[in-house]
Amino acid sequence: MACVATALIAMPLRQYFDVVNIVMLFLLTVFLVSLRLGQGPAVLAAFFSVALFDFFFVPPHLTFAVADAQYLLTFAVMLVVALITGQLTAGLKQQAETASLEEHRTRALYEMAKALSGAMRLTQVVEISCEFLRDAVRAEAVLLIPDDTGELQPHGTCRVWYEPHLAMAAFDDGLHPFPETDGVRYYPLTGSTRIRGVMAVSPLDGATLNENHPLLEAVASLVAIAIERLHYVDVAQQAQVQMASERLRSSVLSALSHDLRTPLTILVGLADSLAMSRPPLAAKQKETAEAVLDQSLRLCGLVENLLDMARLHAGEVKLRREWQPLEEVVGASLKLLERSLVEHPLRVDLPADLPLLEFDAVLIERVLCNLLENAAKYSPLGSAIEIAARQNGAMVEVSVSDHGSGIPPGRQDRIFDMFVRGVPESPTPGVGLGLAICRAIVEAHGGTIVVTNRTPSGACFTFTLPVGNPPVIDEEALPPEGAP
Amino acid sequence: MSSLLHRMIVIEDEKQIRTFVREALEQEGCQVFEAATAAQGLVEAGTRKPDLVILDLGLPDRDGVEVIRDLRVWSAVPVLILSARTNETDKIEALDAGADDYLTKPFGIGELLARVRALLRRKSRLAEDGSAVTAFGEVSVDMARRTVTRNGEPVHLTPIEYRLLCALLASEGRVLTHRQLLRDVWGPTHVESNHYLRVFVGHLRQKLEADPAQPRHFLTETGVGYRFQP
Repeated sequence: MACVATALIAMPLRQYFDVVNIVMLFLLTVFLVSLRLGQGPAVLAAFFSVALFDFFFVPPHLTFAVADAQYLLTFAVMLVVALITGQLTAGLKQQAETASLEEHRTRALYEMAKALSGAMRLTQVVEISCEFLRDAVRAEAVLLIPDDTGELQPHGTCRVWYEPHLAMAAFDDGLHPFPETDGVRYYPLTGSTRIRGVMAVSPLDGATLNENHPLLEAVASLVAIAIERLHYVDVAQQAQVQMASERLRSSVLSALSHDLRTPLTILVGLADSLAMSRPPLAAKQKETAEAVLDQSLRLCGLVENLLDMARLHAGEVKLRREWQPLEEVVGASLKLLERSLVEHPLRVDLPADLPLLEFDAVLIERVLCNLLENAAKYSPLGSAIEIAARQNGAMVEVSVSDHGSGIPPGRQDRIFDMFVRGVPESPTPGVGLGLAICRAIVEAHGGTIVVTNRTPSGACFTFTLPVGNPPVIDEEALPPEGAP
Repeated sequence: MSSLLHRMIVIEDEKQIRTFVREALEQEGCQVFEAATAAQGLVEAGTRKPDLVILDLGLPDRDGVEVIRDLRVWSAVPVLILSARTNETDKIEALDAGADDYLTKPFGIGELLARVRALLRRKSRLAEDGSAVTAFGEVSVDMARRTVTRNGEPVHLTPIEYRLLCALLASEGRVLTHRQLLRDVWGPTHVESNHYLRVFVGHLRQKLEADPAQPRHFLTETGVGYRFQP
């Protein structure tokens, strides 16, 4: 068409211009055609131009016959020039088109990166990346993210028929790229610390993934970074929540213990002042004052037990483990309970070669005190209480035995539970927390606590503490052998 | 307690605790001044020239440990602290800051008076020229001659045991924290070697106590330190 138009325009100019210049007009036409319509039409236009030129402008006019053989050279040059220009322009045009397509994709990738960096939830990440792949690559994608158990869970469209075992394989060895199978390609989402999941991509209606491979890799790493970021945001938030709840728990506990202890301190102090007041009270009143004191002290013990249990349960207790001889904490417990144990002869049997043990002295003292207090409470006045220890392999066994009535059969296991007592409605005061505390403390130290009945009567509570690797005491500083 | 002239300051925010402590001490013939806040307590301590300060660690206006540090800048007056049972670290901090002894709430009057007496006795002993010989139980220690006897028999102590014994005797009636004892006996580089201290206290008990498993003189303050009691 363009060539015909050119021929029509050129016709009337034939008188004024040289034939050479008419050739130029045809070349311009081919150039414009190739610029406009691409390579195929350009080639067509080149041949057509030569034909028209010959037909209309080369004498003899209106025939394809050529009078002057020189024109054959003109035709050849014209054809070659037309073909080459056509080819070049068409190539340029194609390059420009590719460049603009690339630019479009880069812009889209950039937009996606921006959107991903603003994503606050996994669903947003999935939405953004799938939309991008649909638009820019013409592919469907599904993100496979491991859940808490390590199973890959699909997020996003379900139109990708991925093979779970292939996805798992890609997830496990993180190869980049993972071979394409049945039109689905698996990209591991490799974060900075570990693989965060797998992106399964399948092309839409016959498109191919190969040429887009670098782009897909870029998408995979962007998604991985986004998922990783979400993961750390999550971790930070959890830590914050946990910290806040721990702080709350600990402040509630300490407020509670302060509020309970203050009135008890006053009660004990006032009852004690009353009992000791001068001039001395009449016998009856003195007895009452002492009873008030006794009961307040018992209440204190109960409150301490409850608070201890709450603290142990809340994970509030941090063990301050130090290497120390068992003898010291046994001595300290006996000293603390001096008054309750006054009616019971004590037998302490601690081997001299017992190793140092690593434990929290305050807590183990609590265990011993609870066991000794129970022994004194549940055995007849004047009966002996025995404390013994011995090493048994990697453990040291510490036992507190009495001559009371023992634990009723069938209750030996449950006796260490909270609010469980040997004899439920026993007239001896208590709520059944002491042994639960003992168990919590001993278990925190990596030991166990059990009770057995003795023959003919009595209970024997045995707890164990791990021996571990006691530190070596500098022998030079030890006294010489056999010193008096 | 022949302490008609003893002046005490009780710094405690709970009025009723203050009151019964005051009454108990007054019955013993002491003159008692009360303070409800740390600020007021420090003013009282500056103006009354007390023989003893009883300080609650849980004051509303300031941390009790800071109060002790402030007080120790200009005064060596014995300080008895009152604190809750579970706060071992608070007690240790207060003792390291210069407090002399502690009482765990709730406490009985008898316990309170015993601690007060021990601290006053120590104060009056420091005031006079002490003799070089200290005796407790079956044991007699002559600091001048550096000899220790038990039932008249000489007892051999290693140099470290002797130094530990002296450190404990010198602080009769006070609680010494592990850190203080380690610093005094082993030097400042060993303040974390608690197990050494425990082993050597064990040695002292073996050599000087009638029943090492139930000591009468070298008492353990569990989680805090030791106390020597004659």
